[in-house]
Amino acid sequence: MGTPALELSGIELHYGFVRALDGIDFRVEPGEVVGLLGDNGAGKSTLLKVMSGAHRPSHGSIRVHGEEKSFHAPSAAADAGIQMVYQDLSLVDAQDIATNLNLGQETLRRGPLGWLGFVDRKAMRRSSEKELDRLGVRTAPMTRPVEMLSGGQRQVVALARSAIRVNGESQGILLLDEPTAALGYEQTKNVEGLIRRMADAGIAIVVVTHDLPLCFEVTDRLVILNRGKKVADLPTAGADRDHVVGWITGSRPSMFAQESHV
Amino acid sequence: MTNPVSETEATQAGAGNSPGPGATPTAAGGQDMPRAITVLVFLRDRGIFVLWGLLIAVFAFWCSPYFFKVDNALLIANAAALTALFAAGVGIGIMTGVLDLSLPGTAAVASCVCGWLLTHGYATWLGLAAGLATGVAVGLANGLITIRGFNPIIVTIGSLSVLSGLAAVIAGGYTFPGLDQLEFMGTHRYLKVGDSFAGIPAPVFIVAAVFVVGTIFLTRTRDGIRLMAVGGNAEAVRRAGIHANRYKVLGFVISGLLAALGGLVSTAVVTEANPNASPQIIFNALTAVALAGVALTGGRGSLPRVLVGALILATISNGLTIRGIQPYWATVCTGALLLASLLLERVLQTAVSERLMAANLSVHEKKV
Repeated sequence: MGTPALELSGIELHYGFVRALDGIDFRVEPGEVVGLLGDNGAGKSTLLKVMSGAHRPSHGSIRVHGEEKSFHAPSAAADAGIQMVYQDLSLVDAQDIATNLNLGQETLRRGPLGWLGFVDRKAMRRSSEKELDRLGVRTAPMTRPVEMLSGGQRQVVALARSAIRVNGESQGILLLDEPTAALGYEQTKNVEGLIRRMADAGIAIVVVTHDLPLCFEVTDRLVILNRGKKVADLPTAGADRDHVVGWITGSRPSMFAQESHV
Repeated sequence: MTNPVSETEATQAGAGNSPGPGATPTAAGGQDMPRAITVLVFLRDRGIFVLWGLLIAVFAFWCSPYFFKVDNALLIANAAALTALFAAGVGIGIMTGVLDLSLPGTAAVASCVCGWLLTHGYATWLGLAAGLATGVAVGLANGLITIRGFNPIIVTIGSLSVLSGLAAVIAGGYTFPGLDQLEFMGTHRYLKVGDSFAGIPAPVFIVAAVFVVGTIFLTRTRDGIRLMAVGGNAEAVRRAGIHANRYKVLGFVISGLLAALGGLVSTAVVTEANPNASPQIIFNALTAVALAGVALTGGRGSLPRVLVGALILATISNGLTIRGIQPYWATVCTGALLLASLLLERVLQTAVSERLMAANLSVHEKKV
């Protein structure tokens, strides 16, 4: 294995006296999908926020492609090639797909109109179509408002937006928060397919989810947190479902026994 | 040419899902969107134009032969002009996600500043520029206070109070009468053709310019699109790496500027600057905006519809006046119309979402 796309070591984070994260080591390789599991309050959302730059850890270091980074804001993480897909998707409902995909990086028209800030909607539509085709998720006309899409289509638009942005960097990192929470069976299958294709394109992906079947379907490795500690880190292939559930609920002792002191 | 191709794409969120051989009736005609939904969406988004057309048709027969004439059309346009200016201000504010209630105060201060300068012998252009600058300053202040996390409605109620007091202070308790210099943008008519055509009143040109520029800004430029996006989902815009707060302030500034312009035009029409901040202004403007179906939750709506909203108000009162019906019936009518339009919009919206759900479900069933 080369250098990990994203590597956290010894991450600690305190909320007042509460230790939300306790000495977490975490890494994800380019093209790898890591499932981050844990019960409510185990610290997985907090860890995701540390990775996305929304929280600053009290201790520990973050390396992106081997380079030490310190994120003071989500925009700093975005600059380092880390994109987060929020559970609420963060789409602008009244605007069309192309506008949503290009939000914040609109294509301006060439010439004097561009200097006045006129956008080139046609070019944006074309590039959006191309990007979605490349991801294999051409779903609906680019001019359709997001509010008229189904839950699965919205999820795909949100994922694609982040995927397009990380792909601008050579090898990006994608953080997904509960990507299938609001989806039906078939839509979940489609999103699974998209996650796999993005990983095959070399993107490192971290998936936070409660959805165990999804985890076993798309992830390469599972990291399980319990009460702010990492209790398991194992390849998905060969992982025993009952063991995984045991780690999540805390009924099974940590894989890293050296730290267990009753 | 790209559109027809993309319209035939399959509905499913997924790769390479070719539309099955037995296409469902909903997908007929090469469209992935059932025709019923297209019609409903058209009614929802363009219904106000249909309504205005109907109103004109009804009045054309009912008030024949006085209503359906060029002169009367100009009367309506002129009567709608002031409401339309303020409605544009309120409307852009609402689309950005802020309800600016300080518009009457801004208008009063702007016209008093202008009136003070003109009665003290300053140049006309300076008076107008100072009036508009006042509007920008008020918008900036409103915006900068609001982005500290205060509710825009309360903030602008506060500034409405401050501004109407300030306007009275500037005017010293009186008005600034006799501002004849402003006649060129008030009652003057342009494009006169001999005796046959009296010309178009100046406010109509101003309104036309404001709405053309505003519509192009909101739909064609980067800042306009982001402004609308901030109104729809400020958090999403912030996460996309855009300074959402700057756009909120911009929304306030635009609405302040338009309020000031409205104040100046009304000053010009009566050639008198009046420090009274009439709340009627904001209510008329809000009625036009609500008729236009601009959702108060923000992020939605279009300026042409707002203009038609203002025109509908003017059309109704004009038509009823021609028939000799007492003017307060016009108020009753517009109120009833507003309530009816709310109801209709709700019905249409529910129908659209139900049908969309059904469409998605049928796709689902087909595949399983």
